[in-house]
Amino acid sequence: MAEGVTGLDAAVQALRLEVLAMGGLVVDQVTTAVQALLEYDRDAADLVFARERRINAYDTAIEAAGFELLARQAPVAGDLRAVLAIAHAVTDLERAGDEAKRIARFALATMSQPGFDPAVAVHRHLRHMAQQSARMLRLAIDALGRGDASIAHEVARMDREIDREFEAALRELMTVALESPRRMRATIDTVFALKSLERIGDHAKNVAERVVFIVSGDDVRHAGAAARAPAL
Amino acid sequence: MQTETGKSDVTSPAGRSFSGDTPLRVAIDGGTKTVAAAPVKARASRLGFHYGSLQALKGLDMEIRDKQVTALIGPSGCGKSTFLRCFNRMHDLTPLTRYEGSIRLYPDDIDLVSKDVDPIEVRMRIGMVFQKPNPFPKSIFENVAYGLRVRGLRSKALIEEEVEKALRDAAIWDEVKDRLQSSGLSLSGGQQQRLCIARALATNPEMLLFDEPTSALDPIATARIEELITALRERVTVLIVTHNMQQAARVSDYTAFMYLGELIEFDVTSKLFTNPGKKATEDYITGRYG
Repeated sequence: MAEGVTGLDAAVQALRLEVLAMGGLVVDQVTTAVQALLEYDRDAADLVFARERRINAYDTAIEAAGFELLARQAPVAGDLRAVLAIAHAVTDLERAGDEAKRIARFALATMSQPGFDPAVAVHRHLRHMAQQSARMLRLAIDALGRGDASIAHEVARMDREIDREFEAALRELMTVALESPRRMRATIDTVFALKSLERIGDHAKNVAERVVFIVSGDDVRHAGAAARAPAL
Repeated sequence: MQTETGKSDVTSPAGRSFSGDTPLRVAIDGGTKTVAAAPVKARASRLGFHYGSLQALKGLDMEIRDKQVTALIGPSGCGKSTFLRCFNRMHDLTPLTRYEGSIRLYPDDIDLVSKDVDPIEVRMRIGMVFQKPNPFPKSIFENVAYGLRVRGLRSKALIEEEVEKALRDAAIWDEVKDRLQSSGLSLSGGQQQRLCIARALATNPEMLLFDEPTSALDPIATARIEELITALRERVTVLIVTHNMQQAARVSDYTAFMYLGELIEFDVTSKLFTNPGKKATEDYITGRYG
């Protein structure tokens, strides 16, 4: 029995380390994409595209490892929660990586069109949302690494903040659209970039909620803020 | 507190497992639902059991739900088999043993471990299936008919009818119908175990006790017994001792974790195997201890 336990412990731990490595890479992707956008840095955008494949490789490998762990070790209780939550967190991280790629693509588009008005108009929001979403992702991955459910509350609060900021930026862009209909395509692209940042925040929140599930077994994904508080 | 019989609504408190004396406060699906719990079939109260000077059970409180499968798990020597055997007075055959407390069987509310209750009567109502298949060295037919005769049935036609019914209920009829006069011992291990289940079912018991019923069987035979247990819960209350955690998780509705003669945790199986309330339970079911 002792042998099996060691195998299970090692397998769960290996899975956890892999997802942390993947998480670190996704945070890098987001910050690099944001750098490309805010600093007009073409190399940064290229780096994001180049690393995208590594994220997909992590996604595939971690899912396969989790699948094998379920089949061979038949984990229960805390181990089972960890494997399931990690499998879900990986999907969120992979999607956050996709959003980073979209932002990098948008960054290249703005570079090729000097005086890209809509982006300039909401530059302050772009910068702030970019910083906020990257920070949320870092917090969530850190919580996953430490098994700390208390962070989820903070990440959820930041997510509400980023949602509000997205709404504010959207209102400003609607004004731009009305004033410069010829810039419509650029305006829509800017909305997509903002939406990507907002989605990264959502993914970070999902990861943090999975950490709560690993630690306590409570599923807080669809609980309101009030209901969530006592569980943390 | 709950009445012994009749359906009742139970609200669970935020996913926490309950302590021994508030047994109806069970957590269902993470504790968010109000569920109708099955009525109580049997209730152990302050149940103690002594083998001479050794106390094997220490003041156990537990409720067994009607027509549900309750699994007893725990390391060797924790008292789970001792507890199971109290239900049909198997210990009466061992000298120097002593019961304390009670196990009340409902709806008629008799105390199974009381000296005033006839153990033969108890065993008619509560059947048992053992770890190793133990058919009588008689024909397949006689193995099942035996209990019916003890019950006083004399009509040959009626006995044949009841034997067939029991064999069908034990999912073995098709395999033995053409050789009912062959020895029960000529069957394979899995078939012998199903024959023993048929024998136990023949007296139309209210409750069946299984003491590690598949530990001597291969995976296919095990799967058949597990399917059978699942089907049996339509008509009888099942209490099963198993060392196989996955088996407990697969077949039971409720699970009790015992350690050193005490009940450590009792909960709905889906809760106990996904989010146990006590660390000792988690350590045991994840194989980190025991």
